[in-house]
Amino acid sequence: MKVKSLFLGDVRFQFKYGFYFIYLFFSILYIGLLFALPRMWREKAAVIMIFTDPSAMGLYFMGSMVLFEKSERVLNSIAVSPVKPWEYVISKLFSIGLISSVVSLAIGIPAGIVINPFFFIFGVFLCSCLFSAVGLMIACKITTLNQFILATIPAEILINVPALIWLFWYKKSWLLVHPGVCIMTLCSGEGAPLPALLVLFFWAVLFTVLACGTVKKMLRSVGGVKL
Amino acid sequence: MISVKNLNFSYTRTPFIKNVGFEVKTGEIFGFLGPSGAGKSTLQKILTGLLTGFKGSVLVNGEAIGQHNNSFYENIGVDFEFPSLYEKLTAYENLKFFASLYQKHRDINTLLSKVGLLNDANKKVSDFSKGMKSRLNFIKALLHDPQVLFLDEPTSGLDPSNARVMKDLILNEKAKGKTIILTTHNMYDATELCDRVAFIVDGNIKALDTPRNLIMKRGASKIAYTYSDSGREIKMEVPLNKTSEDETFLRLIRTNCLLSIHSGEPTLNDIFVELTGRQLQ
Repeated sequence: MKVKSLFLGDVRFQFKYGFYFIYLFFSILYIGLLFALPRMWREKAAVIMIFTDPSAMGLYFMGSMVLFEKSERVLNSIAVSPVKPWEYVISKLFSIGLISSVVSLAIGIPAGIVINPFFFIFGVFLCSCLFSAVGLMIACKITTLNQFILATIPAEILINVPALIWLFWYKKSWLLVHPGVCIMTLCSGEGAPLPALLVLFFWAVLFTVLACGTVKKMLRSVGGVKL
Repeated sequence: MISVKNLNFSYTRTPFIKNVGFEVKTGEIFGFLGPSGAGKSTLQKILTGLLTGFKGSVLVNGEAIGQHNNSFYENIGVDFEFPSLYEKLTAYENLKFFASLYQKHRDINTLLSKVGLLNDANKKVSDFSKGMKSRLNFIKALLHDPQVLFLDEPTSGLDPSNARVMKDLILNEKAKGKTIILTTHNMYDATELCDRVAFIVDGNIKALDTPRNLIMKRGASKIAYTYSDSGREIKMEVPLNKTSEDETFLRLIRTNCLLSIHSGEPTLNDIFVELTGRQLQ
């Protein structure tokens, strides 16, 4: 099992390519912004910040990670190594999930929204895995950063808009089938956290499985054939 | 070690690799020699399991390509023509990462030392020259001590002294019993390193033999000489085994009138051109 080696490799990659620095900068900026806001706005603002940034960082970072690996032809070496596609996917998802959880806690604790740390951390982690899996699926199929940015827009709309509608206006329980609403529930402490966690788990697993299939095709296409 | 029978493959509807078959024995260096676009890299990709959808039978290290699983790669080392390295990681970090993907691996510092990169181990790959990247890429393929090595243009872009180091390392791997597939359009490398070479043109094997047999079968060694005739320099050639029949040559020797004399064997390139009508480089 190569997950540990790949995970450590991804963490080193993210550190060396400046991903951690970017998130240290944004964490400080977000915390500063939170305390600049009126107290009554702070909780909702923190939930939106966590949902749209640290939780969703995989969607953006996955594009740059895979594009770097494509341009540096590292995927060729991965394709002729004992690494299985699911190991490649899990290591990427977990490495981004780890930083997402840490950054979310760094924003959530000062904002006072971490009521149940278990639900909060697992919620952010699963949401991050879901976003990362979507990002990975898109990144596998594109060749430039511009293509990636354009391709992520529909995914962002589909995940973000229902969640924001739930947060501000339409708090119906049936919306809990939506993964974005689940993470809002888990971060804000409103509603039933356990069903939200289970629904989010289902979506994260589903997209992880789909991402494994996409990565398998991408590694095969290193040989030069579109499948 | 490697057995290919009735191999056919195409990227489009037009057949590209056509009815190719050959065997490679354990401990042999087998060369694919041909011009760009001939199908050398495609054959290598099929043998390394990167290209599927071919017809025919391909066995590598006892495993049928197409039905192999990922543990197959524990014993396969591939040196791609272009470096496949994390540019922002150091040479040592790159090797450490790739070594961690395999069950067994060689000592990283020993490998770095063999290609003269030990002092650059902690330098970022992005700061490496093209030749340094090639050498690092090469030892990356040796990291897990594979039984079968696929080398794609291993000396491309290297200066003569580093090319020599690389060729000695390849011969060293052969001495350890490793099977090596060398893809190149460099006839000198092929002649020096390969036990047997296959001439690949348009997806076909046009000839397959040892470099010496290919040279000896097709072209005899020749003597080229020059002499002066009414102030003009005349160039002549005579096969080595027919010098006694060349009256002009004998007369020039007797009268000490030769201006220059050279002997030479045809190169693999000459044989390649003769057999295929195409240039290697």
